[in-house]
Parts: sequence; C-alpha cells; structure tokens
Amino acid sequence: MSSPVSTTALAWLGRSAMRAVGGVGALALVAGRTAWGLRRLERRELTRGLVQFGYGSLPLALATAALAGVIVVVQAALYIQRFGARAFLGWAAGYGVLWEFGPLLLGLIMSARIGARNAAELATLKVGGQIEGLRGIGLDPFALLVAPRVVAMEVSMLALSTFTFLVSILCEAVAAKLTLDLPVRVFFGTFAQMLSPSDLLGGVVKTGAFGLAISLVSTAVGLRAKGGARAVGEAAASAVVLGCAAIFLLDFLLTTLLSRVLA
Amino acid sequence: MKRVLTFFGAPGVMLARTVRAGAREGIPWRETLAQVHELGGRSVWLVMSGMAFFGAVLVMIANAQAKKLIGNVAVLGPAYFEMLVRELGPAVSALLTASRAGASHSAELATMSVNEQVEALEMSAGDPYADLVAPRLVAGVVGVPLLSVLGTVAATASAVLVASVALDIDGRAFMDARYVDGWDLLVGGLKVLGCGLYIPLAAAVAGLNARGGAEAVGEATTEGVVAASLGCLLIDLTVSLAFQFVRL
Repeated sequence: MSSPVSTTALAWLGRSAMRAVGGVGALALVAGRTAWGLRRLERRELTRGLVQFGYGSLPLALATAALAGVIVVVQAALYIQRFGARAFLGWAAGYGVLWEFGPLLLGLIMSARIGARNAAELATLKVGGQIEGLRGIGLDPFALLVAPRVVAMEVSMLALSTFTFLVSILCEAVAAKLTLDLPVRVFFGTFAQMLSPSDLLGGVVKTGAFGLAISLVSTAVGLRAKGGARAVGEAAASAVVLGCAAIFLLDFLLTTLLSRVLA
Repeated sequence: MKRVLTFFGAPGVMLARTVRAGAREGIPWRETLAQVHELGGRSVWLVMSGMAFFGAVLVMIANAQAKKLIGNVAVLGPAYFEMLVRELGPAVSALLTASRAGASHSAELATMSVNEQVEALEMSAGDPYADLVAPRLVAGVVGVPLLSVLGTVAATASAVLVASVALDIDGRAFMDARYVDGWDLLVGGLKVLGCGLYIPLAAAVAGLNARGGAEAVGEATTEGVVAASLGCLLIDLTVSLAFQFVRL
C-alpha cells in the first residue's frame, strides 16, 4: 500500500544505488584489468602517454603552480596582517602549498586536461566499435589502451609534482617580497626550520593518489560510453566531474589520514 | 606569443560580438532558463559537496598549523571565515563550476558546430551569438555567484561540523563574521562575476571553433575546460592582487 510519491522515491533511490554500485564495479574492474595488463604493457603507447601527459602538461602545470603560490601568499597575508606573525609566513605558505593547494590545483587542472581527453578518446573508440574490433583480433584493450595511460599518468603526476612544488615555493618567496615586503632570507629561514621532509611526503602522496584516481575514473567513464557522437561529449564532461569529485573525496581522506600518520 | 594573445583576445571578441548580437536580436528567455538549469542546477551538488570537503580539509590543516603556533584553532575562526568569503569560496566554487559547466558547454557547442548545426542555424536566419552564446553568458553571470554562495555555506557548515565533532572545540567560531566587511564582499563578488562572465565565453570560443569529427569534440572539451579553469584562477589572482596592493 505505497503512495505514488514514495514509490517514485524508492525507484529513484534504487536507481541511484544501482548506478553507484555499477560505477564502483566498473572502477574496480578497470583497476583489476589494468594491474593484470601491466605485464604486457604496450611500450609505444606508454611513451606517447608520457610525452602527452607529462611533457605536454608542463607549461600548464607550471603556470598553475605559479598562480597557486601567489594565491597562497595573498591568502596567508590576511592572517599575517591580523596576527602580526610575519616571520611565520614561510612556514605557513610552504605548508599550505605542499599539503593543500599544490596537489589540489594540479589535480583539478590535470583532471580537466587529461581526464577529459582520455575519456573522449576512449569513448570515440568505444562508440566507433574499435574496442570490440581489438577484442575480435585477440588483443586486450586494457593492456593496450588503459594500462599505459594509467602508468603514464602516475609517472607524470609524480614528476610534475616536484616541478610544481619548486616553482610555487619560488613564486611564494617573490610574492611575499613584493606584497608584504618580507625578505626572501626570512621566508626561507622559517621554511627550512619548521618544515620537515615528512611534510613534503604528504604532498607527493596526495598528488600520486590524485593521478591514479584521474586516470582510472576517466578510462572507466570512456569505456562505458554508449551511443553516438553525443556520448563522447557526455563522457568527457562526466569524466571531469567524477574526477573532481574523486579528488575532493581523496583530499579529505588523505589529509585526515596523513596528518595522523606523519604527525 | 600567439597562443597568449588568443587566450586573452578570443574571449574578448566573443563577448563584444555576443553583447552586440544580444542587443540587436534579443535574448531567447526560454533557452536562458534552460541554461541556468544546466549550469546552476546540475552543478549544485558538485559545488556543494566539493566545497564541503574543501572546508573540512581547511579546518584540519588550520588545526595542524595552529597546534604548532598558538595551540587553539578556534582563535583562527573569524579569519578563516573572512578568507572563505573573500578568497576561497569564490575561487574554488568557480573552479568547480568551470570544470562542470565548461566541459558541458564546450562539448555541446562543439558537437553542434561539428555536425554543422551552427551553419544550419545561420541559414535559417538565426544568430549563433544571440541564440547560443548569450543565454549561456546570462546563465553564467546569474549562476556562478549563486553557486558560490551555496558553496561557501556548505564549506562553513562542514567546517563547523568537523571542528565540533572531530576536533572537539566550539565549531561556531568558524562562522564568526567579525572580520568580514563590505570590501571582502566586494572582492568576492567581483571574482564570481568575472568568472561567471569568463567561463561561458571560454567554452564558447573552444566549442564554436571545433572542426572535424568526433575527436574534435573531445579536443574542444579539453580546451574549453582548461581555458575556463585557468582563466578563473587568473581572474581570482588579479582581483586579489589589485586589492592587496591598495591595502583594502
């Protein structure tokens, strides 16, 4: 004896739950098949991925890093002026960029750039029936298309993270000098004194996790595409959205976890 | 150099053309409402959940920093709220909207121009700028500020929750508006307006220039999202720096 409203609500709940289960299942499947395909990794595709994901993203990543550095200093300046703790800027800004803004902004920008492209490429192949074609001639699309992308993305993100951290910290020092008139020597003094190597590790772990999430989510979304040209655009858009959502979720989990482990 | 000029110039040209076409032809209000739903309604859960996680992370990090210096994170509450209203609420909400709406706008427009639907529209005496770009522009200017208000509310609520549940302090310190004044609202407002104007323009530039097949749609989507996100970061930085230099 259920009223129509509660039936619709139940149906909606059931559909959402099924979608969520399906999404998690697809992700697990892609992860498992990728790990299985690692042994027969296509070398040429890996090289192409490394050039495209890593080297190709370098200007964008460095521009983002510079912006992130300046934004963190401008934001920290609010605190600094309120509490008069100018000397701690180096530490606060370094911590902010290593733990939060560097990985987060790099992740979001790379999710937009690489996630959308991965999903669009794989969705085009799927919609055009080329994935079935690969299976038909006995080739594993995961070893051929997905595993190289995941590995290339992971390596690229880890490599880019070091560059972005360096650039954003340099930009922070310059921005602190220009906006707050804080000597560079003082900036790096507290930076070196109060930050430990484990703080750097936190940022690298986060960036690596984001890279894995972006590549897995975008390839899973691309391989699930069905329909015509419209499905390609939809896959690209939803890869970006799901990538961003995954990054924020991981960001929260890792911050909570790492600050306990490393403290 | 050419790419830099295109990055800044093309959205400007697009804005001028759209405003001129919109003034001449009028803006289709039904389509505008549909776009407000597309940009605002369909991004609202992404922005709110993203901002909620972001607010929670910020409190955890503020707690880690405060432990080293002051010992009590609740002292940072009012300054946290000011920073959220002035800098992070607008910036991160706009960035999230840029990835959601930028992707869907540029994918849609690219599909239309690849399938020659834009030419068909021109043939039937429609103006793509007035009929396609102007509604998205209006939706951006209306939607992004609203989304950023909702995002800031979500971030504040989750900060209060995390502070009182996980850190065991009075979380209400994180919604203390003691330091927030009109200038903070002005800075935040300028940022969201700039981003709301820029996101549809960047997406339209990438989408309407797409030529080729299905791959061009993917390329245009990537390009639109990257341009929109990077543009939002640049706008936030420019506004912040401008107000920082005049010390407001």
